[in-house]
Amino acid sequence: MISLEEFHLIRDYIEKHCGIYLSDEKVYLVETRLTALMFEQGCKSFRELYQKAVLDRTHVLRDKIIENITTNETYWFRDLHPFGILDEVLFKHYADEITAGRKDKIRIWCSACSTGQEPYSIAMTFREFMRENHRLRPDHIEITASDISSTVLFIGKMGRYDNLSMSRGLSEEFRDRYFVRGDKVWTIKDEIKQMVKFQKLNLQENFHHLGRQDIVFCRNILIYFSTEFKQNILRRIASLLRPNGYLFLGASESIIMYTQEYEMLRHAMGLYYQIKQNEEKHHAYSVR
Amino acid sequence: MRILSVDDSAATRQFIKKAVDVLGFEFLEAADGREGLEILKRENGRIDLILLDRHMPVMDGMAMLEELKADDKLRMIPVTMVTVEVERAEIQRAIACGAKNYLIKPFTQENLIGKILEGLNIAP
Repeated sequence: MISLEEFHLIRDYIEKHCGIYLSDEKVYLVETRLTALMFEQGCKSFRELYQKAVLDRTHVLRDKIIENITTNETYWFRDLHPFGILDEVLFKHYADEITAGRKDKIRIWCSACSTGQEPYSIAMTFREFMRENHRLRPDHIEITASDISSTVLFIGKMGRYDNLSMSRGLSEEFRDRYFVRGDKVWTIKDEIKQMVKFQKLNLQENFHHLGRQDIVFCRNILIYFSTEFKQNILRRIASLLRPNGYLFLGASESIIMYTQEYEMLRHAMGLYYQIKQNEEKHHAYSVR
Repeated sequence: MRILSVDDSAATRQFIKKAVDVLGFEFLEAADGREGLEILKRENGRIDLILLDRHMPVMDGMAMLEELKADDKLRMIPVTMVTVEVERAEIQRAIACGAKNYLIKPFTQENLIGKILEGLNIAP
């Protein structure tokens, strides 16, 4: 068994490098998820694994540790409301701006995109919106999808899904419109795939290179972070958002305890957040 | 790429097949170590990765791994061992015997795809 001292070494290492905080009851999780990696790396103890990771300047081992700890629960149009809000409120607002010549494109960042269901759901929502708004084109939107795990990004970029993944939240209508059925799997059509740019990104690190965004999806990930890191990341997202930009969180998440920079908005049954008016942020892109 | 799953659980083989399908690779399967070795011989060793269950009837995963590694034609095929529980001594023994990596059940499709890519030395 992993000792408590070893667990604390690994726990602190993980928190330092990806922000995920593991409480003491997660000892078993670390033991089950990292024991194989420990032996694969030729280490005889978790302390040795930790020391090897610290000395590894390539960060390959660090990424393997993080990849083994993270979970990637996702499905199409998760919680539905964010996509309804995009369709009924935000795309409508930005479409007016674009057609009036005041805006070039809508820039959206999915900060923990997993295997691609969230960014592709946004792309499909925009395609549907375009069907009613003929002046809009696919290049009027730019969707950046990032994740800390190379494996999930690999799957997202492939855009290939088995029947079980397809059944999780996707209507038959959208499936038939936006996917090609193969012998064994479904593949997302190029018209959707081309709207999403995937890239590896650790939220612990600086993300200002993404450029200013109109909308950020940061859903079902804050729950894994410490209070301090939640505050840090929300502040940095605020800096990244354009004036009046919007933030979406997971259905069960709230940010009221961590920041005063956003105003909570409601549409139908869904909640979303907007950078407070007339308070353009000039924060440095500080990272921990 | 051709992936061979050797596992006595049809449900596990089916789960692995789906991940292999997502990757667009070819899937072969066997229900125990003996059958796995027969397939390897039949295919003349043209397998790129073996996902090998530790506990099986007839011939278990360790026995098959030992036979594989003793065979000059088959020893270079990477092996990912699959097991239900975290048994340090077992994992250590399999790695020492030449298994490339280890996968502990329950695993998700993403875990599995990650291990398959790692086994094949494909950087995701």
